[in-house]
Amino acid sequence: MEKMIQNKLDPVTFEVLKNGFVNLVDQMSEQILRTCYSFVIYNRDFSSALCDAEGNTIMQGTQDIAVHVGTLHLTAKAVIEDFGDDIHPGDVFLINDPYRGGTHFNDVRIIRPVFHDDRLIAFMQSNGHWADMGGSVPGSFDVSSKDHYGEGMRISPVRVWSKGEYLQDVANLLVSNMRVPEERLGDLRSQAEATKVSEKELHRLIDKYGIDTILTAFDEVQDYVERLARARLKELPNGTWETTDYLDMDPEIGDGLIPINIKMTIEDDEIYYNLEGTHATIGCFLNSSFGASLSGLYAGTKTFFPDIPLNSGFYRVIKAHLPEGTVVNAKWPVAVSGFCSGPYEKIMNACFELWSHVVPERALACSFNLEYLLIGGWDTRSKYDNFFMWYDWMAGGHGGRRDRDGANAMSPVFGAGLSVQPCEGQERLTPVVTSKHEIIPDSGGPGKYRGGCGIEKGGTLTNVTDTVMSVCCDRSRSVTWGIFGGLPSNPHGNWLNPGTDKEKFLGAFFSNLKVEEGDSFSRPSAGGGGLGDPLERDPEDVIEDVIDEYVSIERAKKDYGVVIEEMDADLDQYKIIERETKETREYIRMNRQKWLNEDVHVVHKMYKNGKIDKLDLIRRYGVLIDFATDSVLEKSTQQFRDMLQRRSVAYWD
Amino acid sequence: MTKYRVAVDVGGTFTDVFVFNEKTKDTLVAKTSSTPTNPEIGVINGIDKANVSGEEIDIFSHGTTAGTNALIERKLPKTALITTKGFRDVPEIRRGTKLDLWDAYKDVAPPYIKRRDRFEVSERIDYSGNVLMEVDKNEVKELAQKLRKRNVESIAICFMNAYVSGENEIKVKEILKEELPDVYICASSEILPEIFEHERMSTTIINAVLGPKVSNYINTLETKMNTKGYDGDILVLHSGGGVMTSEMVQRYAARIASSGIAAGAIASKHIAELCGFKNAIGLDMGGTSTDISLMYEGNLRVTKDWYIEYGYPIGFPSIEIMTIGAGGGSLAYADEGGSLKSGPQSAGAEPGPACYGLGGVEPTNTDANFLLGRLNNKLLDGQMSLNKEAALKAMQPLCDQFGYNEYDAANAILKVANANMCDALRLISVRKGYDPRDFALVAFGGAGALHSAYLAKEMNIPNVIIPPFPGVAALGCLLVDVRHDITQTYVADVAEVKVNDIEEKFKDMEKQAIELLEKEGVATENMNLIRHIEMRYVGQWRSLAVSIDRPLHSLTDALASFHKEHKRAFAFSDPEKGVEIYGLRIEAIGTVPKPQLPKEKPHGTLVEALKEYRDVYFEETGGFTSTPIYNRPDIPVSSIISGPAIVEQLDSTVVIPPEFTAKVDEYKNIIISLSKRGEA
Repeated sequence: MEKMIQNKLDPVTFEVLKNGFVNLVDQMSEQILRTCYSFVIYNRDFSSALCDAEGNTIMQGTQDIAVHVGTLHLTAKAVIEDFGDDIHPGDVFLINDPYRGGTHFNDVRIIRPVFHDDRLIAFMQSNGHWADMGGSVPGSFDVSSKDHYGEGMRISPVRVWSKGEYLQDVANLLVSNMRVPEERLGDLRSQAEATKVSEKELHRLIDKYGIDTILTAFDEVQDYVERLARARLKELPNGTWETTDYLDMDPEIGDGLIPINIKMTIEDDEIYYNLEGTHATIGCFLNSSFGASLSGLYAGTKTFFPDIPLNSGFYRVIKAHLPEGTVVNAKWPVAVSGFCSGPYEKIMNACFELWSHVVPERALACSFNLEYLLIGGWDTRSKYDNFFMWYDWMAGGHGGRRDRDGANAMSPVFGAGLSVQPCEGQERLTPVVTSKHEIIPDSGGPGKYRGGCGIEKGGTLTNVTDTVMSVCCDRSRSVTWGIFGGLPSNPHGNWLNPGTDKEKFLGAFFSNLKVEEGDSFSRPSAGGGGLGDPLERDPEDVIEDVIDEYVSIERAKKDYGVVIEEMDADLDQYKIIERETKETREYIRMNRQKWLNEDVHVVHKMYKNGKIDKLDLIRRYGVLIDFATDSVLEKSTQQFRDMLQRRSVAYWD
Repeated sequence: MTKYRVAVDVGGTFTDVFVFNEKTKDTLVAKTSSTPTNPEIGVINGIDKANVSGEEIDIFSHGTTAGTNALIERKLPKTALITTKGFRDVPEIRRGTKLDLWDAYKDVAPPYIKRRDRFEVSERIDYSGNVLMEVDKNEVKELAQKLRKRNVESIAICFMNAYVSGENEIKVKEILKEELPDVYICASSEILPEIFEHERMSTTIINAVLGPKVSNYINTLETKMNTKGYDGDILVLHSGGGVMTSEMVQRYAARIASSGIAAGAIASKHIAELCGFKNAIGLDMGGTSTDISLMYEGNLRVTKDWYIEYGYPIGFPSIEIMTIGAGGGSLAYADEGGSLKSGPQSAGAEPGPACYGLGGVEPTNTDANFLLGRLNNKLLDGQMSLNKEAALKAMQPLCDQFGYNEYDAANAILKVANANMCDALRLISVRKGYDPRDFALVAFGGAGALHSAYLAKEMNIPNVIIPPFPGVAALGCLLVDVRHDITQTYVADVAEVKVNDIEEKFKDMEKQAIELLEKEGVATENMNLIRHIEMRYVGQWRSLAVSIDRPLHSLTDALASFHKEHKRAFAFSDPEKGVEIYGLRIEAIGTVPKPQLPKEKPHGTLVEALKEYRDVYFEETGGFTSTPIYNRPDIPVSSIISGPAIVEQLDSTVVIPPEFTAKVDEYKNIIISLSKRGEA
């Protein structure tokens, strides 16, 4: 270790102030959690930051959602850029502009400048996901929009308090464009008060330690994180790693996965990400702006250095090239509200794969995709007569790991702190009865270490009129993949009236679908991808999975080549048939590469004849089908099969 | 015959028996090793050691970590969950979150009941309590057969929306009781009829996995105590800060989950009140961790948001206790970025701090306190001696890193450790809207009194109280009443709700409360029922509880209290905004007579308590300073001691830094505060 590291503060003062900054930022988070009006914030879609006078982030909250990481300094800088010297004590600003460093319109940032003796020294920033920002669709997620005009209220930096005076006219103008405006005013107040509480705390620190020490600590805390990150990177080998992940499609084109290409270079103590080769922006809202994509790179990297605090010091060691006009750097006015389900998660998971090669002890296969469903309409239950919004996101499976299975039923990597909602709360507030919220057997991607299991949530609409449904997801075709020989899990994609003669496959994104009383729906979330060759999985682990019905006896044989016989299910008694297991594993080993080259139409026919099922299509044959039209996606299949060659086949012996 | 009150606190390592003689008001603490496999053996050993016979015991109360340990170690009976079709994975899906957001290799603990033991039945109730699907008797009977075959010992029943109507749950419970008469069965609607399926199911499951185990243990203990001649009830401390009898332990076993740590909070409340403080922060600092609690205006803070293991909440109200990884054994180190850190890793009991000479090589708080002369080189009346060479050597890496000498390093370690504890004190005080200047700090546990004066100084807490014994927590078990909390989700807009309707609901709940207290043998004149109402601004998600009148005539006062509490907690309120009721709660208290701790008259002089002068390091006086060392048992009450000074007793050391003055009160508490000008 290098001795006598240069730090302008003595180690005690430094440690005290560093923790003091963490504390004041977390205090902001706790306050908005307790006083907010948006249930999305309440379920932890928020973040907080202390930024310095230049807008650089000194500290982010410890419970912040991943997707906001590394974007808060950009919005602080946008305020500085627009207002310059016209920033005064008692001012409070608001911004949600994704083209200025924001993520999407719902993420509303409240920014309060902090002064000491008339000198601007810092900004307190509170970012919360407001439940609605106006636009054509409840919840402000219009999947089909190509530009932002219909999506919701775009707010470039605007002053809401001026020298302590509340600008009611401005606030009213903003919320008058949103559904349930009084709740949005509640959120505004809640966030503004939270920044005030942390401002007070910063003043306490200034009183105690003096302004010079505090300003030095602002720099030192960033420098410290930078040193820490550089020290870690120096221990790693130099080199370049490259991979591609895919969005499902451009709905205007149809068949064909949309590539996001990431080349990562580690050179001494810095990381360079180059996303050249990524596809041009697509004709729906699954594009991402610069700031949001950068956040995906930061968050993907951070996952492999979980103990390094997040601030601008960390961001200094990461350089990125995001080609303009592509899905990872969409320019105004291209729609980007779906970035979180789209490029963001692809970037993060691609980083997981790249880093799994560099830091294998933290290896992680792909995790399920963020999925959220919105139903908005009129509630006609007795004693209810109001507009309702059922807005729900799912848990799902995380990727297999170096020495253990992926976690079952977790929040998306987009925000591990995001909490899934209680069905009982939803049933009270909305005319939707949940029919199930359960783990899907066989949804974990097969591997030596299985991906975590996905979830199925289903529901029925009871008393509604004028009601529409939208879904924002991805990976119905670019199925959640395995690494180091592991296999994919199961596709996302929702069903209307499943199991009835009105059954219809809706896919992983659609909006403003009319639904009525009695309609039911079902939503599977994907499991995580597997890690390592599934034929090397310990049969004892497979039998435990069978007992718990994470894996069926049928798929134990197909995916793992493990033949299991039921003795007495009531007593959890099953046994492994050793000889058949050996033979089955040998048979799969001999044939599996051939299956992945089988003619797609032959495979499709086997599927139509019922000889193989949906999971066989994906895991065994690598064939993608559009379940809505029952047609083969030839181009997508080719891309998918190439991907399987790279991530799975290359590791099989 | 002499009558004694006995409190037993069974911890992970030691069982403390606190005996209070009702006639002489004398107290005695006996310590024995805990016997984790059969904790009752340790309890009986401790009582024998205290030399008290069963006939002499008037009241026997008990705090135990048996529940906590059973959960953490997963030593649980074979338990099944029965739930609504489609929802058996609720305890595994939880809310999908994890404690460590960024570490993909740190998992949430697995569910208490594996998927293979989670069963479903066809039934459904909607949000308003209507039965959408009836229970199928035959289906339940078939399931009972399967459970019998599997030798299930305990069953948790939790159905969707059972907080509105327990009709289906009770039907299933009745069938199962008939089919499986020897199995422990509990239903969510009878335990905690509150909204949100995961939280209610989690509480019910914890109740079911602890039920047979904890009630067996209490029954065994009761039998043993009976053979020793004690014929009263065993009162068991629960996390809500009250006690209940063994019969109720069976029903509300999940309330025992943190019985062990509640005692310390209660003891610190009592001691602060004895000293005349209504606001106090309790700081129980041991070898590896510190438990912090807060009392405001005579009430300990209560939370409904707690767990033993992250992800598995227990919905019963509990005294809010914050546990942090800071203790005497916390390790100090420099990280790669050049930052000095303390904890949460700890040297533990083995190898222990470097100065114990048992193989520890990294520096701990204990090493730092020892090097600075604050700890004697002989501890526990000379039974243990500390190794200075080892402590000096342990400081070396920090000296190299920061250019310190060993004593600067030791001083820096303590400052960082103190800063960490202050961060925790801020979380429970400033962050919740409490001003530390209005509080006293009650510091105990083996290491509490070494650090407390500095913590108070940093936090601007005017007074520190050091109770006579560091193991004072056991006393907490003697200081509580029988107590139950009856809660009910109740959602209504204040502008529309009928006050009569709330009154009726409260009356129903009070009827239940009285039944519970009667079962506990509480006489009517000793019953006290307190009503609380949870409120929030319409549209908000979290609620705040305020206490209200009985009987209820209007909501005006409740509303005023709500706005005031919102302002206190969050620095703003909005009296113009609509307010919504979210839940009702009855605090049912059966008053138990409390011991009167004795007051002592001064005898002897302070000089007689002076053991020696020792060089002790204080940054304030420029380094090592000749400092008087006192023997605590010999210090007369009403003494005043100016800092710097050290007060030693068998199992703890009190540091009175320069600029501070200590007074010994008539209960033998040491009260430390910043010296007024001219006093020091």
